[in-house]
Amino acid sequence: MAKAPAANPRLYAAVPRATQPSVASRLLRTLLPPVLMGIVLIIGYAITRNSLEPHRQFLMPDAYGLWTQAFGIAKVRWDLLDRSLTTLTIAIVGMCVSIPIGMILGIVMFRFHVMEKAFFPYLVALQSIPILAIIPLIQSALGFGFMPKVLIVALFTFFAIPTTLLLGLKSTDRGVIDLFKLQGVNWLVILRKAGLPSAAPALFAGLRISAGLAVIGAIVSELFFLAGRGGLGQMLINAKMDFKYEQMYAALIVSSALSIGVYLFFSWLGNRLFADWHESGGKSA
Amino acid sequence: MAIQLVRQPPDQATTATAPDAAVAQDALTFEDVDMQFSDGTHTLDGVSLALKPGEFVSVVGPSGCGKSTLLKIASGLVTHTGGSVRVDRNNLGYTFQDATLLPWRKVRENVELLMELRGFDPTERRRVAQEQIDLVGLTGFEGHYPKRLSGGMRMRASLARSLALNPSVFMFDEPFGALDEITRERLNDELIALYMRQGFTGLFITHSIPEAVYLSTKVVVMSKRPGRIVSTFDVPFPYPRTPELRYAPQFSELCGDISVALRDAIEK
Repeated sequence: MAKAPAANPRLYAAVPRATQPSVASRLLRTLLPPVLMGIVLIIGYAITRNSLEPHRQFLMPDAYGLWTQAFGIAKVRWDLLDRSLTTLTIAIVGMCVSIPIGMILGIVMFRFHVMEKAFFPYLVALQSIPILAIIPLIQSALGFGFMPKVLIVALFTFFAIPTTLLLGLKSTDRGVIDLFKLQGVNWLVILRKAGLPSAAPALFAGLRISAGLAVIGAIVSELFFLAGRGGLGQMLINAKMDFKYEQMYAALIVSSALSIGVYLFFSWLGNRLFADWHESGGKSA
Repeated sequence: MAIQLVRQPPDQATTATAPDAAVAQDALTFEDVDMQFSDGTHTLDGVSLALKPGEFVSVVGPSGCGKSTLLKIASGLVTHTGGSVRVDRNNLGYTFQDATLLPWRKVRENVELLMELRGFDPTERRRVAQEQIDLVGLTGFEGHYPKRLSGGMRMRASLARSLALNPSVFMFDEPFGALDEITRERLNDELIALYMRQGFTGLFITHSIPEAVYLSTKVVVMSKRPGRIVSTFDVPFPYPRTPELRYAPQFSELCGDISVALRDAIEK
């Protein structure tokens, strides 16, 4: 075997630590990138709009048009608010249906392995059905009222709930379950005091996904239901038919804000609930 | 905080392990215990071991020899397939390799857990929990979540949780294996103080021969799988044991003998 080569030491000088950047400069560093990116996007929008032939420029309204034709009109603002509430109601009621049923299914699948074997393939199958494709069928069966829309939202949001809950329950610490068993407590106590709390962060991740989908589901469901007083989805279609593209953009912006708002709300709630003890919820980002 | 605990009343505590306890019935008995898992693994092969009340027995052996299985059998977490076990499962303490604290509960609520599951009254729970927290030196950390504790402190909380039920037989499954050497030696001293104070019967699983000798009245060496008891060593040193013991020649000599027995057990 070869001998180790002779060492050839070099001198490495110390580098003095830079001072802590000021609050203002840190704020600038966090805010500047997204603001710059936003400006780039707006310039891109403007360039695209100006490259369109004048008779097609209605497809991309400018800020002035958005204000004078949509956001600047009190009636339109009220309409947007009112329709947002309608959409939000559909989304919330839909989740009120899918969350309890999904949780019960998750618990049953956890408790009885045979139930997991029975249900899981169909859950995956349900997830792979394009829900848009069965909306006409739902209309034929249930009509054009409130309930079919709720059903559509429930279908959109269902999958993530039992699957994330089951995953969370299954990852409960074996040792903790043993500890409970040694005290001779029954399965429901183990579920309540060990299983559900330890599955809560995983379930919450599922809920966050579902909540975003609920808003999307509610808007999509309305695209197919034009009768009566509807929500933002109906406004999108009406705006198209009335050739009011500024209002369509307004509805789009509010829909996105609603989706983002729901997502942020669940992120905030999850952080509040789990930051103290769970790794996912660090207090400092 | 930990130091203070070690210096707690040794004279009064020694009476707990007085020899007159030995005339009573054995606190924990394994008789010719066999364990064969359903996948065919033969884990234990005719293990016989009796623990007199107040004895502290450590079990050393190669990994996978079924040391932990012994504890699972005693507690009823798994059922043995041959022989018999005699134990009072209602007064059994059990500490796992991990602290197994519930991360969503603060230290106090974690220490209260077993009492809660056994239906103790809330004020009693609170009182006993505080007592145990003080005893293991976690005073001031009652409101902390486990995430914010060091490994050693988590293990102390875990010990306090078991101690709250005042078990007559206390089983430890390599509780300090994941800790650094300094913390481990300190917890050894604290465990000795607790043992002398409470007078429980101890069954301690470990990989570390010095730890086994330092803590125990008796060290048992197991063979590789299927596990059998191949030799038993009595540890003559009186309690309370102090860190100086670790450097005594007799201590090293005994560790050496056990080490030889263990090597034989692995190679055979």
